[in-house]
Amino acid sequence: MLTQREILSTLEMLKNENLDVRTVTLGVNLLDCASHDLDRLKDKIHTRISHLAHNLVSVCDQIGQKYGIPVVNKRIAVSPIAVVGASMSSSQLVDVARVLDAVAAEVNVDFIGGFTALVEKGVARGDHALIEAIPEALANTERVCASVNVASTKAGINMDAILLMGKAIKKAADLSAKADGIACAKLCVFANIPQDIPFMAGAYLGIGEADAVINVGVSGPGVVKNAIDRAFESDAKLDLGQISELIKKTAYKVTRVGELIGQEVANRLNIKFGVVDLSLAPTPNVGDSVGEIFQSLGLLSIGVPGTTAALALINDAVKKGGAFASSRVGGLSGAFIPVSEDLNISEAARKGHIGLEKLEAITAVCSVGLDMIALPGDTTEDTLAAIIADEMAIGVINNKTTATRLIPVPGKKAGDKAYFGGLLGQSTIIPVNNGRNLNPFVRHGGLIPAPIQSLTN
Amino acid sequence: MNKVIISILGHDRPGIVAAVSRVLFEQNCNIENVSQTTLQFEFAGIFIVSMPADLSRQSLHQSLKEQMAPLGLEVHITPLKPIPAPVSLPECESYIITTKGPDRKGLVAGISEVIAKFEGNITNLQAVFKGGDDPGDNIMIYEIDVPAQIDQQALYQALRRRAKELKLEIDIQHRNIFEAIHRI
Repeated sequence: MLTQREILSTLEMLKNENLDVRTVTLGVNLLDCASHDLDRLKDKIHTRISHLAHNLVSVCDQIGQKYGIPVVNKRIAVSPIAVVGASMSSSQLVDVARVLDAVAAEVNVDFIGGFTALVEKGVARGDHALIEAIPEALANTERVCASVNVASTKAGINMDAILLMGKAIKKAADLSAKADGIACAKLCVFANIPQDIPFMAGAYLGIGEADAVINVGVSGPGVVKNAIDRAFESDAKLDLGQISELIKKTAYKVTRVGELIGQEVANRLNIKFGVVDLSLAPTPNVGDSVGEIFQSLGLLSIGVPGTTAALALINDAVKKGGAFASSRVGGLSGAFIPVSEDLNISEAARKGHIGLEKLEAITAVCSVGLDMIALPGDTTEDTLAAIIADEMAIGVINNKTTATRLIPVPGKKAGDKAYFGGLLGQSTIIPVNNGRNLNPFVRHGGLIPAPIQSLTN
Repeated sequence: MNKVIISILGHDRPGIVAAVSRVLFEQNCNIENVSQTTLQFEFAGIFIVSMPADLSRQSLHQSLKEQMAPLGLEVHITPLKPIPAPVSLPECESYIITTKGPDRKGLVAGISEVIAKFEGNITNLQAVFKGGDDPGDNIMIYEIDVPAQIDQQALYQALRRRAKELKLEIDIQHRNIFEAIHRI
């Protein structure tokens, strides 16, 4: 028999604290679709995805209704297109992106990820073509997301690839200038990219994965914030050890929801269940913010001194609770701090509480990186590459995933507002130190060697 | 061995279970199952008890009545009928229905009628009506088992329609979500 408290507290999480399953992402292996013939490649990709995904959305909705828990986003991640289409030219790969976009629309998913290249050690011909295709592919499609892994703890940091990405970001922004450079919001640059991320824009299906897999991204920053607020209301003297315990228990509950829904979707679709990604993923809605948690912990705003320590506490507690709740944990698993997608962080940027330097610092202790950051339109490709290189170094040296999603907003300067709309939100453009100049350091190119901790065998 | 069901009703106070079980022990009875609950200030307890062959139901009833009267408790005792031949129950899915809304007459009747129509069996019902219009003061929680072949969509729709007529907020969820969140 369930207790009244168990039932009512669950309803409270759902109705007032924005507990939901943020994404159910179907991974589709396209490796055997490879062909020298573009039409044949496009046809095979279309058939494979539409066959596997045609009832993804309806099944997610039915299961969401059964449990009274909304599955907010349904998405698809495919094998790296730089591998699947390795023999194609960059213009042919733009065509492939259009097919991905069209099939995503047909099966009614909002994003499809996997326009991806893995170039941490070197850029192969197909990788080069894909990186070159990224700006046009993202500017001419609505739902396609791209990611490029340019560094890893085992391989080091590929500075040549990073400079290519600086150029690609700049060009993607220019091609979508009318929409504040929105193409860049669909492009992640990674160090140590996981093979099973369900969240966009970084989702792709790794080379080591099965034919099809269901991965789930849970959320729940509002649930964590409310649990902290309630705990302090009933006992103002709680210490941070007790708060960590509370976040752990809350993360456990949130993760169990994701695992239950993911397993059932996978069973219903007769597809293998992959992982739950234990991330606190915000949306631009009040009460669904990671930034608000810092204020509940007693900080004036995210960004002020104390932020890194607080984030380390939150991130670790989320992982501990989540790891106990599910034995199939993967993806990014940590707290996200996407500036424009989180109302509170966006507001902190507007008020000057948080800038690029502090954002970079806190990525040393949380999951992703410099995420959804609007930069002045005149930020040079050198500076973009240098910001990426710094962020990659944090990931490589600390043996963790880091990423950037940078948007140099064409025609706008620091302090102006950039509008991306929907889940991508809006943000004040933040200044970049020495942003308009060349950066000879990144132009040296080559590979920054793998750190000593790569020698673990 | 004769089995009986004993029910005890009355104002709640410390010592009720102790008093009942002492009489049963003195009469050489064996308690097989007990369940008790309190609603507001009222106690209700049900005991399934096996009696020795030399004890009559009437005489056990008499002893219980004598001992319970000073505590202001009513005692009912009925023989436990043998369990009929096992019928194969249909496979069921368990749902939790929660409603909140202003108090009025006919809320339990209205919701339980829909549940019955879909052959749902209420396995637990907790309802608190403090009166007034504050939805949080008037809550019903039903745990129901519904045959698996029943159309889940139709059940959800019928319940939502009825809740709307009764001006209730309603949530219907499969039981597994609560188990997943709260139980290890």
